[in-house]
Amino acid sequence: MIAEAGRWFLNFAFLFSVCSMGLYAFASVRNNKKVERISNWFWGFKGVFVLGASIALIYLIMTHQFQYYYVWNYTSLDLETKYLFSAFYGGQEGSFMLWIFFAFFVGLGLIAWTRKPYRAPVMFVMAMTQFFLLSMIIGWDFGFTKIGASPFRTIAQEMPNAPFLQANPDFVPQDGTGLNDLLKSPWMMIHPPIIFVGFSMMTVPFAFAIASLWTKTYHGWIRPALPWTLAANLSLLTAIFLGGYWAYETLSFGGYWAWDPVENASLVPWLIGTAGIHAMIIQRKSRRAHKASLFFAILAYVSIIYQTFLTRSGVLADQSVHSFVDLGLYNQLLAFILAVTIMGIGFYLYRYKELPTPDKESKFLSREFMTFTGAMLLFILGLVIILGTSSPILGKLFVDNPTPPEIQFYNNWSMPIAIIMALATVIGQYLFWERHSWESLAGELITPLLITSTVSVVSIVLGNVTSIYYMIYIFAGWFTVIGNGTVLVRLLRKNPKLVGGTITHIGFGLLLLGIIASSVYTVPMLDPQTTNYNTRIEQGEVFDDEGFPITQKVEMFELKINQPKLLNEKYMVTYEGYELTNSPRPGQQNYRLRFEPIDGGEVFYMSPEVYPMLTSSGPNGVDWSVDPHVRTGMIKDIYLYVAGSKYVEQRNEEFERNAQNESMMPVGNQEEEQTEEQEDSQIIELSRGETKSVGPFAFTFRNFVPASEEALPENTQIGIRSLVHIEHESSGRAFEAEPLFAVYTEDDRIYTYSPPIEIQEWDMNVLFSKVRPESDTIELTVYGLDENFEEDWVLVVAEQKPFVSVVWLGTFMLMAGFSISIFRHWAREKNTVEKN
Amino acid sequence: MKPKLIIGIVSIIVFTSLLMYNFGNSISTYVNFEEAEARTSSHVVGTWDSTGEYGFSRDTMQFSFHMKDRAGNVRKVIYPRPKPNNFEQATQLVVIGEMRNNVFYANEMLMKCPSKYNDSPDFEKASTIES
Repeated sequence: MIAEAGRWFLNFAFLFSVCSMGLYAFASVRNNKKVERISNWFWGFKGVFVLGASIALIYLIMTHQFQYYYVWNYTSLDLETKYLFSAFYGGQEGSFMLWIFFAFFVGLGLIAWTRKPYRAPVMFVMAMTQFFLLSMIIGWDFGFTKIGASPFRTIAQEMPNAPFLQANPDFVPQDGTGLNDLLKSPWMMIHPPIIFVGFSMMTVPFAFAIASLWTKTYHGWIRPALPWTLAANLSLLTAIFLGGYWAYETLSFGGYWAWDPVENASLVPWLIGTAGIHAMIIQRKSRRAHKASLFFAILAYVSIIYQTFLTRSGVLADQSVHSFVDLGLYNQLLAFILAVTIMGIGFYLYRYKELPTPDKESKFLSREFMTFTGAMLLFILGLVIILGTSSPILGKLFVDNPTPPEIQFYNNWSMPIAIIMALATVIGQYLFWERHSWESLAGELITPLLITSTVSVVSIVLGNVTSIYYMIYIFAGWFTVIGNGTVLVRLLRKNPKLVGGTITHIGFGLLLLGIIASSVYTVPMLDPQTTNYNTRIEQGEVFDDEGFPITQKVEMFELKINQPKLLNEKYMVTYEGYELTNSPRPGQQNYRLRFEPIDGGEVFYMSPEVYPMLTSSGPNGVDWSVDPHVRTGMIKDIYLYVAGSKYVEQRNEEFERNAQNESMMPVGNQEEEQTEEQEDSQIIELSRGETKSVGPFAFTFRNFVPASEEALPENTQIGIRSLVHIEHESSGRAFEAEPLFAVYTEDDRIYTYSPPIEIQEWDMNVLFSKVRPESDTIELTVYGLDENFEEDWVLVVAEQKPFVSVVWLGTFMLMAGFSISIFRHWAREKNTVEKN
Repeated sequence: MKPKLIIGIVSIIVFTSLLMYNFGNSISTYVNFEEAEARTSSHVVGTWDSTGEYGFSRDTMQFSFHMKDRAGNVRKVIYPRPKPNNFEQATQLVVIGEMRNNVFYANEMLMKCPSKYNDSPDFEKASTIES
């Protein structure tokens, strides 16, 4: 019922987007105000329908209607409400819906604030992108072909050939498959919405560029487009930051950036958008670079759609580690990217001759030239990354079956580009506010250069930098920070409203410094023994059984409980045990590692976690996942996770045993098993109040407890219970047991009765087997105690990463700079609109 | 023609060819174990062969398992880190490393897992937990 409504909402939204597209086109061509107003209404209704469809989907998710594929595939009964909500955009279909929804709001903003010649054509482009996006989720099945994948399709529609559905078409699964545990993170809840806000807003400069080409008004469009582009960039940057931070805190690859296709997918539009901002600023200030700002505005959106195509069409699926479920949207996505490209680039080329050209070339030493250089470098960097990400397609020019490029490819190209960019920002910023000749510029730059050189030398010495290349890079980074910092100080005195760009550039410089420090100078934290071993590997002194030299270093170490090891000659680290908790994830272990700096610093604890992945663990095995602990600091972060532990190993062995037992069941002999069990029994004698350690457990005999009549056999002469406290020493888990001991007579013979008490968690049975009242002592027989007792241990991977904090600081400054600029340009644009 | 234009065109051509040359070198092709014998570094795609022995050894600090490549060759693979998350669930494995004496020494291992979430990274590199 609800799903049916949702389906109709989507159909109507699609039809309305077609109508509004046609009407806006008509209004633009005929310049008809009335039609434009009508199409605004269509736009509004379309938004209402999309809202309706979203509410319908959220309702289905919240009420756990697992007959719908989307609900079944992304949620489960035990999912917390907040994650149920975020499951709405957890899949491809829902994320398209979210994208459409945000773009609708952006459209409302455009209707309200856009000035005259641009409004109708801008809205036409917006409606066109909505048409394509909606076509991805309408789910029309014509028999011979399908259009879109509806979020409201049932599992029967999704899997028509599944046997359980053929047997019972109305089958509704009891529970869904659930959300990946890694994604149960607040960062991952807000990351997708912010990215789609960015995608939606990046449509605006594209729409304005088309409108400008359409109306042949090439000057004015950047004024309204600039704040939108800045805002789009701010959103994308925030989303990239959230994604990186999540990866760093949650995943165990140990960093915030891996040049992964999905990460690149968000970075490239940001780079090209930033290039566009630079070009627009030149156009605004100096009435030149019209061609560049149009070109970048078009390309920024094309790159968004191209990366959407790469990541969602299944092109990357074969070669990327990421599985992008192929929804059969390949052709539609291809049509989308082609339409956007042909419309944008085609129109641009068609009008190219008419576009204004500056009368004379700008000088090398001018703000125009420097800013334009910045834009071109950003664009080139974007192209390099697109090339790398497109390896499954473009790599075929070189080899069959191409692999993704090595990480080195990205680093080798981005580093020199970043160095030139860094130098250009400083010179550009100086020229931006004042005219300079070579002499006057050199005079201005002497002080910043002196400071930069000093600071660079200090960091090179302190950081023990040996590569010349890195030295140049570090110099460029400091130069950006200090040079732009000097400009900032001056601007703050004159007009603090103008500091946006300068702050952004300082942020960029900090980012460069933070990136090199945290990536190149990350060191593994190891104990002396492992360090020696690695040195020997380096020198080629270690050989395997077959006489080949071992080349792979060991980057982890083992810690036995309460036996400290010295890491990197700096920290005394002790494993103090673990705690089993069920929150927030069932079966989670919190490990406790004590770090004591040997130079007398403050003691601190690291608490990495390991938990079973519920979505992929079955009855035959657990899929363990790690949650690293990052200790953030100004100077350095310590990143650490538990790569293995005795507990995990035992649980796995248990599962293996169970799996074997199950398969042996038909032939297995119950009695045999029992006798086997009896072999590993142990007898423990305890006097009252005494504690004895046996294996990993401590047994304490607290007291005698009277036994109640019901539990006793007939003709009992003595019946008594003992209160025993059993504690697992490394985890601190404890149970109190009251095993019974009774002596009774039957047919004049005396029997003892001591029923076992089972402690399931440890697979242990405790019997109260004897009592010696004269010495106040009891004897316990314990089954299931491992005789080959092994001390608790953990395997630890730890890294020390310097100045990750600077990466975040740089990012925050970029965000701050963009925000300041948005306000400034928005205020200006509002003034002009009001004056009109 | 203006000299600036010529300089521009030449630098674009130089830049593009350098970029493409470097790109061509930095990508390689997926091979099978037999082809990997003759190479110094290779990417091999395949699946875990669960019939053979596998597991992490705390003595050598290595994880070893058997892998069947797309051509059907089964080889022992040694990976110097703990067993990755989701190893058993992976529908496809990619090992990057070197073949020596019929044993593949993987420096990196990537896994493709049945994803629950299409739009977000599943795993970048193999993330690890011991078996």
